[in-house]
Amino acid sequence: MSRLCVCLALAFALIGGLQARADAKQAAAIDASFAPERLGSATTMSLGFQLTDGGRAPAALSSMQIGFPVDLGLATSGLGVAPCSPGELEAVGPEACPADSKMGSGSATVELQLASETVKENVSLEVFAVPSKDGYLHFVVYVSGVRPVFAQVLFPGVVLPGRLSVLVPPIPAFPEAPDITTAQMRLTIGGHLTYYERVHGRLVAYHPAGVGLPNSCPQGGFPFSATFAFIGGAKEYARTSVPCPRRR
Amino acid sequence: MSRIGSARDAGFVAGVVAALLVVASCLLAAGAAGAPRRVRANAASVLTVHDEGHLHYVHASGSVIIDEGSVSGSFPGSVRVRFLYDGEPEVSASFTITGHGGSISARGTGMLSSPTSPSPSFKGRLTVTGGSGRYAHVHGGGELFGVYNRRSYALTVQAIGKLPY
Repeated sequence: MSRLCVCLALAFALIGGLQARADAKQAAAIDASFAPERLGSATTMSLGFQLTDGGRAPAALSSMQIGFPVDLGLATSGLGVAPCSPGELEAVGPEACPADSKMGSGSATVELQLASETVKENVSLEVFAVPSKDGYLHFVVYVSGVRPVFAQVLFPGVVLPGRLSVLVPPIPAFPEAPDITTAQMRLTIGGHLTYYERVHGRLVAYHPAGVGLPNSCPQGGFPFSATFAFIGGAKEYARTSVPCPRRR
Repeated sequence: MSRIGSARDAGFVAGVVAALLVVASCLLAAGAAGAPRRVRANAASVLTVHDEGHLHYVHASGSVIIDEGSVSGSFPGSVRVRFLYDGEPEVSASFTITGHGGSISARGTGMLSSPTSPSPSFKGRLTVTGGSGRYAHVHGGGELFGVYNRRSYALTVQAIGKLPY
């Protein structure tokens, strides 16, 4: 009897969750920042987004396109000078990746929508360079959550001119439950990373320069945008700009 | 009389022939002197470039890196390179080599291999965009090879080509 009750409760929960999806009205917001803000210098780039749906968990993402100024020195950042094997990353974890492959880190809040409540989980993010077959700089975002759902997922991405393209695979929660959705994310590219290079036969530690800011700032600041594609076909667009640094 | 006259005529004809021979030989000499000069001009008007430069980082502006250094080879001198890498596998470099007698400016593009390595290499084509001094009319193109150090932003570039000027 109790098993039947659980099954019925789960079924109603799922129906409720699906109904909520059908009525979904998404909203997206993004933010971006540099630290330090000095034209012509290397910096750390921070990107964030929030997806909302009137108090419910947003729909599950399928991809993100994050636009940044095309003259921003992301490819020339010196980040990710060694590839990490996605297979080993998935099987072993971040410790399988060379230190020189790490490009950034961050955190995210993911949600699981049930009929009665929205379950939230904070997950950590790490960005690693991965092998490239096409000449573009590829990376993966390693998403790791512990509680209430223990899961590690890879978001594959690529650095394109003026754009980061990231695929978001479905994140299963538990059998019969809807996929976990991403409500907000903050990703830092660069930061205090330690790499190693061989100098006269010895490994010497160094800090990679980071994302290069152009010498000049466009009127209105550095523009950023994001297009979020959701499973089911819906899309949301958001944009922002980083104000030009004050002249010193 | 007629003999004298004939002798006079014969002498006149001989004089004319001699004069013509002198003119002809002068013309031939002039022609002979001109021909090799033209050959030499043709040979000298093609600059065979096989240069290699080891360049150090000077400045960066976002996805553009400025490097400078010296080049050695058939057209030695100093070089300044503007290297663009914006994430596209095809990188581009515009540079000016200043050597003895003038400078040559060129632009090249190449495909970058292994972008996640510390020093990816690239290979492509270069096209001369201008020159100065002795190479004011230089044109043509060639091949461009290079290695880009992602840590130090240093470039090692090799330019190979035959450039008429």
